[in-house]
Amino acid sequence: MRSVVLLGAVLLLACSKDKPEPRVWQSIEQSLQTQLITIQDGDTLFLPEGNFMFTKSLAMEGKSNITIRGKGMDKTILSFKNQTEGAQGLLISNGKQITLEDFSIEDAKGDNLKVSEVVGITLKRIRSVWADGPKTENGAYALYPVLCKHVLIDECIAMGSSDAGIYVGQSDSVIIRNSKAYWNVAGIESENSRWVEIYGNEAYENTGGILIFDLPGLTQYGHTTKVYNNIVRENNHNNFAMKGNIVASIPPGTGVMILATHNLELTGNEIIDNKTVGTGIISYELVAALNEGEVEQETSIGGVQTVANNFRADTLYNPFPYGIYIHDNKYENSKWFPALSHDIGKLFFMKSFMNPPDIVYDGIADPNRPDHQICVQQGDEVIVINLDAANDFENLKKDARQFNCEGAKISLR
Amino acid sequence: MRRVSLLVFFCALLSCESRKQEIIVLPETESTIDLSHIGKTKLSEYGFFVGELKTLTPAADVIPYTLNSALFSDYALKKRFVKIPQGRKAVYNADDVFDFLEGTILIKNFYYPADLNKPEENLRILETRLLINESGIWKALPYIWNDEQTEAYLNVAGKNLDVSWKHTDGQLRKISYSVPNMNQCKGCHLRGDKVKPIGPSARQLNCDYLFSEGKQNQLAYWQSRGLIDVPELGSIAKLVSYDDESVAVSERARAWLEINCAHCHRADGPAKNSGLYLLSSENDLSRLGVGKAPVAAGKGSGGLLYGIVPGKPDESILQYRIESVHPGVMMPELGRSITHEEGVALVRQWIKEMK
Repeated sequence: MRSVVLLGAVLLLACSKDKPEPRVWQSIEQSLQTQLITIQDGDTLFLPEGNFMFTKSLAMEGKSNITIRGKGMDKTILSFKNQTEGAQGLLISNGKQITLEDFSIEDAKGDNLKVSEVVGITLKRIRSVWADGPKTENGAYALYPVLCKHVLIDECIAMGSSDAGIYVGQSDSVIIRNSKAYWNVAGIESENSRWVEIYGNEAYENTGGILIFDLPGLTQYGHTTKVYNNIVRENNHNNFAMKGNIVASIPPGTGVMILATHNLELTGNEIIDNKTVGTGIISYELVAALNEGEVEQETSIGGVQTVANNFRADTLYNPFPYGIYIHDNKYENSKWFPALSHDIGKLFFMKSFMNPPDIVYDGIADPNRPDHQICVQQGDEVIVINLDAANDFENLKKDARQFNCEGAKISLR
Repeated sequence: MRRVSLLVFFCALLSCESRKQEIIVLPETESTIDLSHIGKTKLSEYGFFVGELKTLTPAADVIPYTLNSALFSDYALKKRFVKIPQGRKAVYNADDVFDFLEGTILIKNFYYPADLNKPEENLRILETRLLINESGIWKALPYIWNDEQTEAYLNVAGKNLDVSWKHTDGQLRKISYSVPNMNQCKGCHLRGDKVKPIGPSARQLNCDYLFSEGKQNQLAYWQSRGLIDVPELGSIAKLVSYDDESVAVSERARAWLEINCAHCHRADGPAKNSGLYLLSSENDLSRLGVGKAPVAAGKGSGGLLYGIVPGKPDESILQYRIESVHPGVMMPELGRSITHEEGVALVRQWIKEMK
């Protein structure tokens, strides 16, 4: 009998603390969707405080000068955990001057927030997360403006994306600032976008911190990006992207990755304890070359699998990075080993044994451009490697002096 | 005592499992938002049909039409009509949807027969979608039918309806049929920044239809009714019917992809950011998905590398996504909750035979 009492007491103790209160959600699905359709240009839609659950995508289309304002990112929560229909949580498309602020979006089956073809989109204090943390089943993007112009992402939080937390694609005139991205595959990613500023952000504990990519076959190609005064720390999370996507090839431990883009200034950032590489500068040719090896061993995990096979046929696309200027950043790395699960990580490991590099350039240069397209002015203690991948790594150099040139600073003001 | 504490330990462990936070969703309170500025609140107010509404018997100026290859909508059947105002002839276009002038209304009714093998009996009409050309701008309005089948009411926010029918294989099918919200209508009908009809192009209309006056080519009939001026029939291209087994698999598959996917996957459609273009006129294999890596597919890639891998449908993302019913994976994103078995089998065969 005594033991039964004891048992009861222990059970109570064991779980009283952990037993979560059921979370009560309200449904405002029909009325909110109706409001998003009937709202008149120039209006502000106020979202009340509370937890709101949705079963379908919410969509607003073709509106101008609209603000949607919650009561705060911890107070107004839109959850799509019970979603059975629609590929996004909230979809804003084809509008002008749209502002979303002070609410949270959680657990959509696809992207949490997609903004497509809007001129003038401001996201301020939006928290967009998959609440259970990093998982391959999570949606691709937490905050996803695509085909937009005049994008401002300010004081936002992105967590749990199986691709990129803050992702801006095929857009122009973009500012991403004062935001936090963690536990995503890519923290912040700018892809095929032009005139982009990324500053004052914290990208930490992602697989890769900040990615500036240019990919072939799309509606536009990117250039002119300034990445400054960000903290890019401990982006060593395992890569949980679904294979097939370009970010699946990012090795864990990547601080900043610059792929096939041009006119980029990286300055004033703290790039710390990213175990594989602080900053990688690579061409799409390297991605393609690694991919060719991959075809023979298709089942391997963590390789570079994703290449549009005919990228060379895309005459408007330049696969080589150039006009890159890296200076006055703080690089530190207390880690000894890069991520060995990924091709790029293995490559760095073999070429820079026991001492993962701060900056790596693949050395595959555009044959039609003069030298000094990659400039690094970081002082002597920063380890810079030129892989010379174009010549099967024959001329691999660890000498930072070869990159000592003053590149073009970028001013977008 | 030792045994007891062990027991206690396990019980504690067990009792703590399945302690996942419960989700309770309170039902939505009915709210009434005035929709009268958006459109007529009842379908009957338009006067498209004569006699009992549910018979969908068209008024004299309302013309029925059909398409060679139709969008799959969870096996729902469709009755389509067009109303072109007197003296506002549509403008012919050889490749694209006709230019319909102000005042034109396209009417599309979605319904299920109790038994798909008896498509004319025991019909339940679920919804009627209108595309109305008002001062040159197309407006998309969804109307939902009542259970009595006496009226359909404007509903801008969409709704789910429980539907069941006896399928062609004799099995009972049950789904939660989703009437789209007004924005979702636009999601498919958007071209650039303008809403446009998808179906009524010369290629789609170029086939016979059994009019009350007899069987006739639809384009010839429209011409005879003074709705449009068309060139000589023999010169007009024709989209194949993907159901027509006498036609080559590749042509049928491309027709299926065009009507199910290409309203978004085209150079001026909402999915242009993907770089995947699926009009049947697309000749660039890479743009069609062959050897093309995904751009922003997320888990939609299914762990596969390319849109289409010739000869290997199971390694093709396109095949994976048209077969899926997961909301974050499935294509098209909207308009179906189940898989079009015949359609995906066709595309599968096409990819399999592709070299």
